[in-house]
Amino acid sequence: MRIRRLSEGTVNRIAAGEVIERPASVVKELVENAVDAGAKSIDVTVLAGGRSLIQVVDDGHGMTADDLRIAVERHATSKLTDDDLVRIDTLGFRGEALPSIGAISRLTITSRWQGDDEAHEIRIEGGRQSHVRPAARVTGTSIDVRDLFHAVPARLKFLKSERAEMIEVASIMRRLSMAYPAIAFTLTGDGRRILDLPINSAQGRLADVMGKEFMDNAVPVDHRRDTIRLEGHAGLPTFSRGQTNMQFVFVNGRPVRDKQLTGAIRGAYADFLMRGRHPAAALFLTCPPDGVDVNVHPTKAEVRFRNAQHVRGLVVSGLRAALAVAGHRASSTVGRDTVDAFRRHRPMRPVFAERAAGYAMQAPTPSGFAEPAAEFAGGDGISADVQTTDETATTEDHFDKPLGAARTQFHENYILAQTRDGIVIVDQHAAHERLVYERMKEARARDSIATQPLLVPEVIELDPVSVERLAAAAEDLATSGLVLEAFGPASIVVREVPALIAGIEIADLVKNLADELESVGQATSLDERMDHVLATMACYGSVRSGRRLKPDEMNQLLRDMEATPHSGQCNHGRPTYVELKLSDIERLFGRK
Amino acid sequence: MRVTIERAALLKALNHVQSVVERRNTIPILSNVLLQASAGAIKLTATDLDLEIIESVPADVAQDGATTVPAHMMYDIVRKLPDGSQLEIEQGPDEGRLAIFTGRSRFSLQALPPEDFPDLASGDLSHQFVMPAAQLKLLIDRTRFAISTEETRYYLNGIYLHDVTSDDEKILRAVATDGHRLAQAQLPCPDGAAGMPGIIVPRKTVLELIKLLEDVEEDVEVGLSASKIRFTLSQLVLTSKLIDGTFPDYERVIPQGNDKNMQVDTRLFAQAVDRVSTISSEKGRAVKLNISGERMVLSVNNPDSGSAEEEISVSFDGEPIDIGFNSRYLLDIAGQFKNDEATFLLADPGSPTIIRDAEDSSTLYVLMPMRV
Repeated sequence: MRIRRLSEGTVNRIAAGEVIERPASVVKELVENAVDAGAKSIDVTVLAGGRSLIQVVDDGHGMTADDLRIAVERHATSKLTDDDLVRIDTLGFRGEALPSIGAISRLTITSRWQGDDEAHEIRIEGGRQSHVRPAARVTGTSIDVRDLFHAVPARLKFLKSERAEMIEVASIMRRLSMAYPAIAFTLTGDGRRILDLPINSAQGRLADVMGKEFMDNAVPVDHRRDTIRLEGHAGLPTFSRGQTNMQFVFVNGRPVRDKQLTGAIRGAYADFLMRGRHPAAALFLTCPPDGVDVNVHPTKAEVRFRNAQHVRGLVVSGLRAALAVAGHRASSTVGRDTVDAFRRHRPMRPVFAERAAGYAMQAPTPSGFAEPAAEFAGGDGISADVQTTDETATTEDHFDKPLGAARTQFHENYILAQTRDGIVIVDQHAAHERLVYERMKEARARDSIATQPLLVPEVIELDPVSVERLAAAAEDLATSGLVLEAFGPASIVVREVPALIAGIEIADLVKNLADELESVGQATSLDERMDHVLATMACYGSVRSGRRLKPDEMNQLLRDMEATPHSGQCNHGRPTYVELKLSDIERLFGRK
Repeated sequence: MRVTIERAALLKALNHVQSVVERRNTIPILSNVLLQASAGAIKLTATDLDLEIIESVPADVAQDGATTVPAHMMYDIVRKLPDGSQLEIEQGPDEGRLAIFTGRSRFSLQALPPEDFPDLASGDLSHQFVMPAAQLKLLIDRTRFAISTEETRYYLNGIYLHDVTSDDEKILRAVATDGHRLAQAQLPCPDGAAGMPGIIVPRKTVLELIKLLEDVEEDVEVGLSASKIRFTLSQLVLTSKLIDGTFPDYERVIPQGNDKNMQVDTRLFAQAVDRVSTISSEKGRAVKLNISGERMVLSVNNPDSGSAEEEISVSFDGEPIDIGFNSRYLLDIAGQFKNDEATFLLADPGSPTIIRDAEDSSTLYVLMPMRV
């Protein structure tokens, strides 16, 4: 076989293979173009999951007849003014999308340049373009992509069901729309309106896309370091998910799925979530265009930062700071779930309901709970559960606190507290464990780390790449108490270990560290291991369930929780308290 | 099989062998003890495939035979029987059962065929020697606290037993280390042990052996090869596989140039360490020693709870030094000393320190300081 130059058509089809993986990729490219064209409203119509038609209509600045002709050529773009690829401030820049799409479908572009008095149209079928013809259209661009992949039957076979492709299209649009609240988006699939996102505030758009529940259970993030800024909303740890599908990260308005950034998010939440739970978050990272290289991935899902450690540090500290502000807040869904659980049980278990009714008749109506909140303000609605009478004076002060005044303890583990507008149930063991843990961590950060140098240094054999990575990270590790150095090309010698974890299997730890350095670029498991030891000690060092607490002790615990960051969840990510609003309780009894 | 035996004798032997048997086994017969009756004695065998104990007890054997029954259950039964009872152990025509009668109690235990019981003891032993139980006990007792439990460095999970020649004298030496500290004990080499291979005796074997040696006064026969070791104590034989690995070159970590010599009263020192470390938290356990001239100040500082200080008098010939140790390690070592005075040989706060019993040249401990 002689070497020959590939034809333009083949080149485009190969490029299409990279850029256009499925209908959703077409939508992504075209919507990004519309965004770059300064559109205020973008309407997408999809038929048969994108196989028969994808139509994107925008009201951006449009294109002239000459633009049209050149736009469909390979490597033609209006967006890149700087040939060094250093300052990229548009979503697209590669000049690949239109010719790639044209190579594998029947593409029609109709556009009218702002200020022109007529529109033009160009068609491409299987890579062959027609002449530019006059057409009718207001300012903006419409693009029709019909019979996608008809030119590459192989790809057609790999498409999923229409429904699955449709879902993917919708999720790509959702993601893009989060970054551009000032643009209205609609998506119509087979005649049905799937998305309708009017122009909104940034927050309003987040609520539209991620749901109100997310916004209710998220804390705003706004953190700036030098020229980089992190904004957005981070979900509370108790509002965690089993998957990462509620994590959205944007770099300069570009949705990315970057391992380093997701690793940073994981790191920021490491203390609050069990393994296998993932936080929900929508984060927008803004940095100067020359600080980030977006030209590393054909669909730009990954980016590379000039100073990756710096960015990681920013994300971690930004999130931690935001979560610390949230302090003891636990997710509101916890309370709602509780109410729902009550309600679900009733129709299903009539016996239980009857019995409950029996109790209700016997028990004297507790006036405090029966009457609306106004009564509490007066103070005489307070039930008599607090054992000591001289309590009442101070109880008033406790009332105004977020977690309220402790009323009683039941089942020797749960504290019932009353607030102005509801009740709070606290798991005393989980809550106190978290308090002790936070205190220990604070002490660990404050004190210098004691290390145990090894009498017989441990030599661990590893692959040369890992050795190099570990050796490069040696200085960081040493600050956490692990002293190691390269020992020949394929082994590491460990000379000192943190005294806190002196008895552990060092080889396992070092191997984990090497893996982490590879996958997330940062070794976290050393600190995690130490935190784990602290967490275990905290568990033993805290008030167990079954211990009777006096009213003063209970109130003190509530006040400590309010003052301690991250006290809304225990070390395993479970909530430490549940709040029931009076309105929820009234709903339970059918009063509202 | 039909045997009559006194409870106390059987209980003692069962107690010895049952402790080898693991609580949970994937191979059912490993939960069992092998009973073999012949020639006026009953022989009990138990194993975990690495370690085997065989003990013979005199008994009135009416009919020879062999079977296996669950070891822990049999032990519990015999233990609960009244003192002084005579047990009749009988295997009826049904081979799947073993019956035990005494007084008004009768038990019938599920048995497994004796042929299936694994045999560990075969194999040649290249070196044989005899040493007093007290000496063997000393070698083990002085070193076993330093055995590592770290699974990745499995070759540290035992006591390294080997012979060395020092000043033309043949010596049998035991060494154990967990990477933080090292313990060494030695004795003149018994006849027959010279030229033995260096072997690593596993932790479990060491612990079993120590239990068995508790009330033994007479000599112990030791036989070993590169893969096995066997201890014979009158009626009892313990055979164990060895750890297949290379013990690190421990002599390199024993410092030779430590020239600062400190003498301290062992008991006072241990008590002081124990007292001041009350303050230290679970996580650190560091105790700082400030040694200068005639005095040593032990101090512990724990930001969570406070600090402690105690002064004791020592004799020290070097420049003042500040050095930190894990208090538990210090107590472990001090606990080994039988005499009044301990000797510390120090170099600097970052280097290994040698600690010895001042009047006992057979043992030596090396401890790595902490950085605090």
